[in-house]
Amino acid sequence: MEILRNLWRRKLRTTLTVSGIVMGIFALTTMGSLAEHFNVLLGGGITYYGGSIQVTDDKSNGGFGAGAMSLDTLQKIQQVDGVLAAGPAVGTSAKPGSVSTVSFGVPDYIMNFDATTTAHSPFKISVASGAFPNDASRFQVTLGSTLASEFRKHVGDTIMLPVRPKDATSDFINHRFTVIGVLDQTLTAPDNGAYVSLHDAQMLLGESLPAALRGTVNPYQLITSVVAYGRPGVNLDALATRITAVVPGVKATKPSDLVSSFKSGGAIFTFMTTAAALLALIIGGLSVVNTMIMSVTERTREIGLKKAIGAKTRNILSEFVAESTAMGLIGGLIGFLLGMLMTFLLNNGDPSGGLFLITPRLTLIALVFAVALGAGAGVIPAMRAARMDPVTALRAQ
Amino acid sequence: MATIKTLGLSKTYGTGESMVKALDGVDLTIEQGEFLAIVGRSGSGKTTMLDCMGLLMRPSSGAVIVDGTDASTLNDGQRAELRSKRIGFIFQEFNLLPTMSAMENILLPLRYSGGDRKAARIRAEGFLEEVGLAKRANHRPTQMSGGEQQRVAIARSLINEPTLVLGDEPMGEVDTDTANALLEFMRRINAERRVSFVIVTHDLDLAARTDRVIRLRDGHVISDERPSRQLVQRPAAAAAA
Ligand SMILES: Nc1ncnc2c1ncn2[C@@H]1O[C@H](COP(=O)(O)OP(=O)(O)OP(=O)(O)O)[C@@H](O)[C@H]1O
Ligand SMILES: [Mg+2]
Repeated sequence: MEILRNLWRRKLRTTLTVSGIVMGIFALTTMGSLAEHFNVLLGGGITYYGGSIQVTDDKSNGGFGAGAMSLDTLQKIQQVDGVLAAGPAVGTSAKPGSVSTVSFGVPDYIMNFDATTTAHSPFKISVASGAFPNDASRFQVTLGSTLASEFRKHVGDTIMLPVRPKDATSDFINHRFTVIGVLDQTLTAPDNGAYVSLHDAQMLLGESLPAALRGTVNPYQLITSVVAYGRPGVNLDALATRITAVVPGVKATKPSDLVSSFKSGGAIFTFMTTAAALLALIIGGLSVVNTMIMSVTERTREIGLKKAIGAKTRNILSEFVAESTAMGLIGGLIGFLLGMLMTFLLNNGDPSGGLFLITPRLTLIALVFAVALGAGAGVIPAMRAARMDPVTALRAQ
Repeated sequence: MATIKTLGLSKTYGTGESMVKALDGVDLTIEQGEFLAIVGRSGSGKTTMLDCMGLLMRPSSGAVIVDGTDASTLNDGQRAELRSKRIGFIFQEFNLLPTMSAMENILLPLRYSGGDRKAARIRAEGFLEEVGLAKRANHRPTQMSGGEQQRVAIARSLINEPTLVLGDEPMGEVDTDTANALLEFMRRINAERRVSFVIVTHDLDLAARTDRVIRLRDGHVISDERPSRQLVQRPAAAAAA
């Protein structure tokens, strides 16, 4: 291959140029895989929250384990016109007191599994092995894939929940649960969930309250929120407004508000990836342009010779563009593989399954981008070469 | 039919004060199979003449007719095409590509002419055999002497079976013995294949061993002679001229 030989002749320069592209594509790959991870994460959120209505106590500000609601509120919500089904949601933290470090992900949680309402959710979860808990289950848990692999649990094993924090106070309580199922990986929230029966979830919620409060409330009357699903054709935003208006003491969040907050979260990562791509474009692009200009200048006589023996403008153009494209491809492959290695190593060291996700789409974008970068940056120097006058080129020193 | 013909060929470089008339109305007809030398002092217009005949440069006025085609009517792409099919070039500095082997260098013109590679390879092997470089086909130019490189370059100029080979001082960088050997090779090709050769040279001894010597001065042809060797061999023809 003449192209590779020409590149190989100028090892140092080619290496530097390719390194520029490698850095750029490396940045693009790592940033992109972060973005891809959050796209999936947020995509799950968008599907789940876009297709259901979250109803909380109107004094709470939403989220898990916020203000508690009573069970009869659930019945009132079920009776609102347009509601197909509504189920209780009771959640507590699976690792109380653990400071979630730089984890952008979803905190580990324990949640009741409500078969009737889950059936209405557009976001589907399924078990890889075992089964889901039912209403009669006691001390049985189905683990999300990340939790299962973090604690190396399989169906039939037992796990203490919630996980005892290092600085547990004397009133900390947990229980031995039998793992009855492990979920398929979703790459989003359910991976970090532990699903138990409503009864067990309420028990754990009650036990998570400060000791002083524990005696004063009956945990089996408490739920943290209600998830409502609309009848087919019902506008969920309008239904949310109606629930808030009709049922006293509750606030139903419009699905579209949640979806747009998820989307704006995703925008940050899109921005970061774009910035990395821009970095690649500038560093890689400029070094390719520089190298190719030098190469064209050095090989002026070669260009003259080729023209003399019959090369047309487009022949010379494509020869030089092929060289810069090859640099783009080589740099792109190396950068992508290094990025992949890096994300693999970082993911591996992370018990929660890692922050990076390399998708086929990202692979394609990174490699196409690298090749286009090489080709694009090579065009201007190549044009210079192709337009050279053969006589002048042949006489050059 | 004439291999190449120039009609009132003129070339001026620059404008105004710095204007140089490198060629001034040159009419020249070179028949198929002729072996011809162009001589003249430095600056007399030899290179300019060759560049115009090789379609590397457009004259300021006048015409170059290659195998009956007036090259001034062609665009750059068509001229490149005509060049790749009909004209071979040999240069003083050989101009072999350093990244390629001898064989690859010889076959390079095929890339642009799109000829039959297999047949060309056989021809190339024949040329290498003929000049005693059969074992050097895979050597790079840096592994060869000047004379060897020039033999490779001559083979390259012939690979597309041109009707005309142009050489601008092709023996300028080699010693006398090597120059003689190169001339020998070119003469043999010329005799066997009826390819016309036009060689620019400073060496009058070499020029004297061609069929016809054109002398340029200030862009004019000042003489057009058949050297004495021909006189000896063909006294009748010389007497007639
Ligand atoms: N690109 C150019 N610009 C201006 N003048 C030029 C150019 N090329 C050649 N000339 C001039 O044209 C004239 C003819 O030049 P040319 O190169 O054809 O001479 P030559 O016979 O080949 O000389 P030499 O034996 O030194 O190679 C010279 O006076 C030269 O200075
Ligand atoms: Mg000259």
